[in-house]
Amino acid sequence: METHRDDMGSKIGMWLFLLSEILLFGGLFILYSSYRYKNPIDFHLAAWELDRVLGTFNTLILITSSLSIVLSIFFVQKGNRRLSGLFLLATIFLGILFLGIKYVEWTAKIGHGLYPNSPRLLGRSKGEILFFGLYYSMTGLHGLHVLIGLFILSAMLVLVMKGKINEHRFVPLENTGLYWHLVDIIWIFLFPLFYLIT
Amino acid sequence: MKNRKYRTYILVWLALVILTGITVSMAGMDLGLLSIAIVLIIAAIKSGLVLSYFMHLKYETGLLFKLMIPIVLAALTVFIGLTFSDVAFR
Amino acid sequence: MTQNGVLEKTYPAASFYDHQGKYRGILAWILSTDHKRIGLLYLGLILLFFSVAVFFGFLMRLKLIAPGFPLMKPQMYNAIFTLHGIIQIFLVVIPAIPAIFGNFFLPIQIGARDMAFPKINLLSWWLYASGAAIVFLSLFTAGGPIDTGWTFYAPYSLRTTVNVPLAVFGVFILGMSSILTGVNLVTTTHRLRAPGMSWFRLPLFVWGVYATAWVQILATPVIGITFALIMIERYFGIGVFDPAKGGDPLLYQHLFWIYSHPAVYIMILPAMGVVSEVIPVFSRKNIFGYKAIAFSSIAIASVGSLVWGHHMFVSGQSDFASVIFSLLTFLVAVPSAIKVFNWVATLYKGSIELKPPLLFALTFIFLFSIGGLTGLIQGALAVNMHLHDTYWVVGHFHYIIFGGMGFGFLAALHYWFPKMFGKMYDMKRTIGGWIILFIGFNILYFPMLILGWEGMPRRYYDYPPPFHTLHLISTIGSWILIAGLIWIFFNLIQGLRRGEKAEDNPWKGASLEWQIPSPPPTHNFEKIPIVGKGPYEFG
Repeated sequence: METHRDDMGSKIGMWLFLLSEILLFGGLFILYSSYRYKNPIDFHLAAWELDRVLGTFNTLILITSSLSIVLSIFFVQKGNRRLSGLFLLATIFLGILFLGIKYVEWTAKIGHGLYPNSPRLLGRSKGEILFFGLYYSMTGLHGLHVLIGLFILSAMLVLVMKGKINEHRFVPLENTGLYWHLVDIIWIFLFPLFYLIT
Repeated sequence: MKNRKYRTYILVWLALVILTGITVSMAGMDLGLLSIAIVLIIAAIKSGLVLSYFMHLKYETGLLFKLMIPIVLAALTVFIGLTFSDVAFR
Repeated sequence: MTQNGVLEKTYPAASFYDHQGKYRGILAWILSTDHKRIGLLYLGLILLFFSVAVFFGFLMRLKLIAPGFPLMKPQMYNAIFTLHGIIQIFLVVIPAIPAIFGNFFLPIQIGARDMAFPKINLLSWWLYASGAAIVFLSLFTAGGPIDTGWTFYAPYSLRTTVNVPLAVFGVFILGMSSILTGVNLVTTTHRLRAPGMSWFRLPLFVWGVYATAWVQILATPVIGITFALIMIERYFGIGVFDPAKGGDPLLYQHLFWIYSHPAVYIMILPAMGVVSEVIPVFSRKNIFGYKAIAFSSIAIASVGSLVWGHHMFVSGQSDFASVIFSLLTFLVAVPSAIKVFNWVATLYKGSIELKPPLLFALTFIFLFSIGGLTGLIQGALAVNMHLHDTYWVVGHFHYIIFGGMGFGFLAALHYWFPKMFGKMYDMKRTIGGWIILFIGFNILYFPMLILGWEGMPRRYYDYPPPFHTLHLISTIGSWILIAGLIWIFFNLIQGLRRGEKAEDNPWKGASLEWQIPSPPPTHNFEKIPIVGKGPYEFG
């Protein structure tokens, strides 16, 4: 039987998967909003301790990486695989940069003795323990998604260079783009919730 | 057409950067509950831009694509709302 | 194959059992992307797990045969009821109908050759098998079998010494499998319908599975993240559910039930779809109120996602929340009742043939109605205070899950058996088995309703003598029920081994799966059919 190919079907499948991703983070947003409602002052104080400059910088990095993956798709559709690969490479670089900054942030916090179950954190008020518990689990889960995204992006880069992804067949790259944008959107919400609202 | 799409992407990126700048500077002011609302509204606008332009939702046809995001938002709102019927009134 | 229609009749396409793929032997099954083989793979594992869980149920009932009966230690009893719940809910009842029959028949019923993503379909099965393996593995690690109950309530699940993280990780993997199956089913329904197969020509089973698939996609991730947090909490002590660190255990319950209540509808909606298939075929009448049944599936799926708080009436949640959740709970009865009325109206003045599939479908309606009505009673706030966490609740949800979904499953199995295996079972013997099962079922579960009403709490290891008679009756019922199950499945195995060859359309059904050979050829349809009529328009 001829292998049947349905690009629209693949895209629908990807979107449905992303919807379930949204609700995966949604569970955490339910917790965040409930705990914030109950401990507004503790959340206010704890948020001051996060590095707003690094957070802003990371936001800009992710937004820019979203642009670069969109351009990568744009160029592969136009048949320019070289530029497409270049923009993919840029996306991967920005993703790594994001994780690097996240690493610096986390190590600084841990260096200050602020990590889950640390004696210093347990000595603080309960709302602050919750804030940092949520901070580590939400940015951690998000970071995990970035990491997985980096692996998929690298695979896509190989496929683009080999010509397996080209102007006639680019749905895998489009779907990767969708995933990467969703990771961006999640960060667009995480950033103000943890760094800005004080 | 070709170059327009290209330009749209860059304009959207620019808008996202500007909106980020606005939220960050807004956060310095102390407007109480209002500042939470503003920050969240800006985040919603930003994700709306990413969804419709970068993720092409604006160009997709079909009922499924039109309903998907509203369905998820409704689900999430109702989940949070019903949870708050407990948390806020306990 | 050939232009000659006569030749095609003489040499029909080989059935999918004879298909020669890349692999041989067992690999031809566990590496197959054929939706029919994957459906049968699920069937095999699910029946295996079902028999294990029934055995645990049998042990539990045996322990409760008399006060102080020295069969096992309390810790063992806790482990057994936990395992019974986890296996039945996560490994058996949730995947059973969508993964077995949804896989096997949804593509055929809409006129497709396979699912939209055959490889992801296979991946789902592998995730299911691995998740199950991990859950079973957790029994043998340090600390012994899990004793939290299938709900894994915090903070106990954070404190107990048994290996909770591994078990919830297994369930997490099962959740991924369920999400991917949901994605596959929705995409398939949207993209692969044959020409002419409009939304309102879809068989109602497809509607039921479609609505279920949406719940799988949107609700499963919530429990996924909840269980992930339990793992993180156990390993790193982040404190989100631990009251000692400011966490709120009630929020665990909210998140848990945001999935686990809709999970009940993941169980029951496909079974309702089966009943909607069986009833018109065996009353030779078009279904009454097609659109009402189709939309009530969607309504049950959506309203059913908003009622989770009725599991928490005595947990200390706000009275305001309890009132709202109680109201919504009553609301969800409306679409369920719409279905029941439409089924009965379809039967009315039909020429009814009481063959086994219909018998099981009618039993579904009867037992599901008892389950639903007892549910309404405990959904009332004041009554719930009295009934919460008693055997009443145990009786209620067994009427829904076993009486509803279980009998719906048996209806599906007996309805589609000739199509799946190309063999026919002995129908008279099935009816004999049904009598035993039905009697055993009611002797087992009805006393539980009375016990609960009298105040017997659930999950207790022992009880005072006044409850003895009813517990004894219930235990005897469990033996009869198991005898009925053995009879029914033995009869099916006999049919498989030496049953007569089944006709292509033994029940004279009008939906597409009956228009192709039994068992179906590898690609289902020689040519993709063009659909010109509804699924219940009999000639």
